[in-house]
Amino acid sequence: MSESPPSPDALKQLAPEQLVICHECDLLMAKMHLADGEKAQCPRCGFELYHHQANMLTRSLALVLAALLLFVPANFMPIMSLGLLGQHNNETVWSAVLALYQSEMALVALIVFLSSMLIPLLKLLCQGWVLLTLQLKLPAGFALWLYRIYHQMREWGMLEVYMFGVLVSIVKMVDLGDLSMGVGLVCFIGLLVCQIWLEATMSEHQVWEMLDELRTEQQVDEVMDEACD
Amino acid sequence: MKRAIDAGFMLCLECHAVNRQDPDNPEAGQICTRCHAPVYPRRPGSLARTWALLITAAILYIPANLLPIMVVSSFGKGSGDTIMSGVIALIHYDMVPIAIVVFVASILVPTFKLVGMGLLLYSVQRHQPLSARQRGVMYRFIEWIGRWSMLDVFVIAILVALVNFGSIAQITAGMGAVAFALVVILTMLAAISFDPRLIWDNTESEEDHDE
Repeated sequence: MSESPPSPDALKQLAPEQLVICHECDLLMAKMHLADGEKAQCPRCGFELYHHQANMLTRSLALVLAALLLFVPANFMPIMSLGLLGQHNNETVWSAVLALYQSEMALVALIVFLSSMLIPLLKLLCQGWVLLTLQLKLPAGFALWLYRIYHQMREWGMLEVYMFGVLVSIVKMVDLGDLSMGVGLVCFIGLLVCQIWLEATMSEHQVWEMLDELRTEQQVDEVMDEACD
Repeated sequence: MKRAIDAGFMLCLECHAVNRQDPDNPEAGQICTRCHAPVYPRRPGSLARTWALLITAAILYIPANLLPIMVVSSFGKGSGDTIMSGVIALIHYDMVPIAIVVFVASILVPTFKLVGMGLLLYSVQRHQPLSARQRGVMYRFIEWIGRWSMLDVFVIAILVALVNFGSIAQITAGMGAVAFALVVILTMLAAISFDPRLIWDNTESEEDHDE
């Protein structure tokens, strides 16, 4: 935001669509048009306001699809296995949840299940449906609602923290017995990479604006149809 | 610099759309024109809710640190591990880098969050002349780091599944793990319910120095 800002009173005259407010410090600014790859930061508190991604829709769709394909093997195939005196134990994300549940730690099991499995899956499904809506011009109202739900869930998916948990467990267990890594770990890393990349690619302000435009278009079409009848 | 609240606008915290305040009743909440979420100039009851969550977390912080989070039993002998004894054990096994990671995630971060959020709330309520920019950075850091404290909970989950050899060796979760997981969740909820815009209210005079 390097261009000279309009005076505060001029800002008051602008329509809400032409304004930006900083999420962190409530500073009011005129909206700037960004070229591909540019980002806007708040001049007062330094918060990143929004960024603009090229080919956002197709790139994001590819990443959602890859992440969804990896989801099942990442959660149900062995991350690692430990051998001790001839016995072998496999650990999958799902078996960890079950083991906690069986050791009478239902609350912790629920928290782990939500943050490492259910919420990451629901987030991907929400993102996927929103992207499909934009691509195929499906009804926008439902997608707007889903994208709101996605924002509520965002912080509660913790795949990257789980990945660190895997690393710490490996280091703790490596001397104890015969430890080996499984296919699940490779899929889990793949899922994590896709998810982080997706969140960087799927620029929120672009998605919200496209959804809003789509809904306006659909509302105009509806009115036109009614007028023709 | 002008705040949106003074110009009659408010931001939807969900979709970041700009909404116009009702001129007759500027404090009132509305429904966002874009995503239909409730919008307010400032989140109502933010301070009270954040305090409540933070105090609950602070109480649970005690059992989380005193009770064993994990019980390792081998050939009939069982020993409980608290968060701190787990870190010390890692140091004894010469795994200092991992000990540091676990120490930061399980001890330093939750403590910093409890103290930091308390400071933020206190400074906002008392209009303390701390730099708003610094407090803003602190809030963003607390919000970002919160989830990383779940590390120990995930480690427990993985070890319980992995080390399950009946009487030879078995790891089970202890009650400390429940308290610890709740501390992490409650402090995350506290950070979410805090309205960061409050930090910047009443800082106009001080900000002239900064710029």
